[in-house]
Amino acid sequence: MAVLEVKNLTHTYSGNTPFINDAVSRVSFSAEKGEIIGIIGHTGSGKSTLVQHLNGLLKPTEGEIFVDGANIWDNPKEIRKIRSKVGLVFQYPEYQLFEETVYADIAFGPKNMGLEGDELKKRVLETCELIGVKGEYLEKSPFDLSGGEKRRVAIAGVMAMRPEVIVFDEPTAGLDPGGRENVMKIIHDYRAATGATVIIISHSMEDMALLADRLLVMNKGRLEMFDTTENVFKNGGRLREIGLNVPIVTQVFYELKKSGVPVPDDVFTVSRAVEALKAIKAGEKYA
Amino acid sequence: MDSIISVRNVTYEYKEDETVYAAVRNLSLEIERGSFTVILGHNGSGKSTLAKMLNGLNKPTSGDVLVDGINTRDEKTEIEIKRKVGMVFQNPDNQIIASIVEEDVAFGPENLGIAPAEIRLRVDEALKAVDMYEFKNSTPHHLSGGQKQRIAIAGIIAMESECLVLDEPTAMLDPKGRAEIIDTLHRLNREKGITVVLITHYMEEAENADRVIVMNDGGIIADALPEIIFSDVEMLKSVGLDVPQTAELLYRLKKIGFAVDTHALSVSGAAGEIIKALNSEEK
Amino acid sequence: MLKDITFGQYYDSRSLLHRTDPRLKIFLLILLIVFIFIANNAFSLGFGTLSVISVMLVSKIPFKLYLKNMKAILPVLIFTGVINLFYGSGEELLSIWRLSITTGGVYRAVFMAVRITLLIFLSSALTYTTTPNDLTDAIESLLSPLKFIGLKSAVHTLAMMMTIALRFIPTLIEEAEKIMNAQKARGADLENGRLTERVKALIPILIPLLVSSVRRAYELAEAMECRCYNGGEGRTRMKQMRMAAGDYGVLAAALIICGGITALNILL
Repeated sequence: MAVLEVKNLTHTYSGNTPFINDAVSRVSFSAEKGEIIGIIGHTGSGKSTLVQHLNGLLKPTEGEIFVDGANIWDNPKEIRKIRSKVGLVFQYPEYQLFEETVYADIAFGPKNMGLEGDELKKRVLETCELIGVKGEYLEKSPFDLSGGEKRRVAIAGVMAMRPEVIVFDEPTAGLDPGGRENVMKIIHDYRAATGATVIIISHSMEDMALLADRLLVMNKGRLEMFDTTENVFKNGGRLREIGLNVPIVTQVFYELKKSGVPVPDDVFTVSRAVEALKAIKAGEKYA
Repeated sequence: MDSIISVRNVTYEYKEDETVYAAVRNLSLEIERGSFTVILGHNGSGKSTLAKMLNGLNKPTSGDVLVDGINTRDEKTEIEIKRKVGMVFQNPDNQIIASIVEEDVAFGPENLGIAPAEIRLRVDEALKAVDMYEFKNSTPHHLSGGQKQRIAIAGIIAMESECLVLDEPTAMLDPKGRAEIIDTLHRLNREKGITVVLITHYMEEAENADRVIVMNDGGIIADALPEIIFSDVEMLKSVGLDVPQTAELLYRLKKIGFAVDTHALSVSGAAGEIIKALNSEEK
Repeated sequence: MLKDITFGQYYDSRSLLHRTDPRLKIFLLILLIVFIFIANNAFSLGFGTLSVISVMLVSKIPFKLYLKNMKAILPVLIFTGVINLFYGSGEELLSIWRLSITTGGVYRAVFMAVRITLLIFLSSALTYTTTPNDLTDAIESLLSPLKFIGLKSAVHTLAMMMTIALRFIPTLIEEAEKIMNAQKARGADLENGRLTERVKALIPILIPLLVSSVRRAYELAEAMECRCYNGGEGRTRMKQMRMAAGDYGVLAAALIICGGITALNILL
């Protein structure tokens, strides 16, 4: 059974605002336990609006969202409970830090869920260990950390609620390569340890190629494609039409194909590219 | 070389919890007038500290920074130096002062005491130069990140700055916004002869630069043409920088015996190199 | 939307009033309000009402926008109306307990309600036709006589503060919304609970907002320094406020209204 299911989700913002229209129209998709889904689409395509529905921050104008088979809006008074099942990490999450210590900040989410005493402490420490927040940081003020460390602590704050589905809105935005790698590792480790479903909004096709099992492509508030990463990237022409692209290495392979080199059309990472070319060089089928 | 900025043996120290750290140590650098220089480095490599010394916002602990021969330590010429070397920062929201685009662009010239009619001309021209003229009466709050950064650049051009220093101007933008900014900078460099110093950690943005400088631990560890820097995959990785996929691909192919020139960085250039290598194999 | 607050009132319908010098508009607003309160009989107040309606028509602002502003002030209007109802002399119409409604009271109540309504309409006409920036500049300009008594930098600082505040209000509102959502996503309960709990629930929103505002202020100060800002000394302005032909027309019309009200006051 799908852990998360979105049916015919439509969200229109009231009034005609001059802002970037971020509405969503008739989007349906479902996510299986443990898979990684990437959401791509240019700014204003409805990505952010879509993910804010998954934990009930926004209420759909039409359509339903099911978590573990239950409609999350069946009982609007209980909507807060969904937030611990579906965790949402916003862009630049370090701006949400507020407690005096790193420990207290990470404990904020689990505490809101009703955890206390030893159970709470255990949960916070486990989370820290899981994603590598060092013990000596726990009593520090979160405001004294570096940018990358702050981001890690902020993400830990959501992970400490142990969501079954965790959604990231551009988790690596504004970080340098080292910081980006770190965040990717945290996400990977969390999934490996908990078996959670991960949904990531990203602009980096290269990262998506490495990470995502399936890709959900948004365009002008509608779901353009929802398929395996491979099948989506094979559709490079359509992606370009809606202002997106394929990974750079795939672009190189298009050029090779155009020039008559018999390359496979499922090359999205550098490692796969090297393998493919090695095979061709070894004389297989190259005329 | 006709330098617009000379950095001479500069060290910048700061104190935190009673310990003194050096963000930049004993660094020397000449920026040629009219050039397009990219400074790469991971967070904490000292690149932002260096940027703020180029227009006197930070004063070096030791050593000197000269702009057109004027020392940035000289308080009498502080305004003149800031006019000559304009700065654009990372967060587009935190550098726009007025609620109307054209009034924001006018802010710099107004501070310089330029006559109103002249400001009007400069503001219109600057907005056209960054392709934002049609938004002159808009409110910045309703613009995209890329558009806001172009407004910030227009604000510098309206001061008739000769050099533009940008400290990670694209870090908070989406790919479209990033491309807009890089295109704008190259156009300004080409058409108006404005010297550009772009600080970034995005490799791709260095592709068409005249010169790429790599910083690590407060010093310069490489200073060369972009294709030379990019093909040095090991050095880039060792200082925590990304390598463009084309460079990485060619580097790894070469390692397993492909006869490719690792300096080709564009998509078509890389494809061409691979075809050449495969054909030579055939013969 | 909340974010639109700085531009909220401005409505770009490009009328004669939009082009009028904002300093003149502020001055005329005060002048007309004074005269509407001076109007003391049905004829002069009626004439004032017609004049205000003409102003509203000239502004090309949809009438329902004016009414929207009335809604907020309605409780005040009813309250003053009711108070005035019992406060007057003349023939008694109705008596409730020890209070009595008289013809004089009704007369007063209607007068007061009309005056307040006109006051709101006129102020709305100003804010709908003038951008907040122009208002700020106009206030700075109108306060400029203070420069001669040694308050020059104070006037400039005040105007600069207003400019920056207007610029950052929407940014901070947007940021507050974002932080609120981020804390809700961590299970924060902002809607339920007793007053003390709800006040406490604001801490996770106010602290990040404060921290970020300080950071923004610091970065903005650096950006201003980089753009050669050095206080008001020697600063020029791109937009010069100058009275144009149309402005004199507007002034003349306003003076005719004031003259008309005075004449009707005296004659009838």
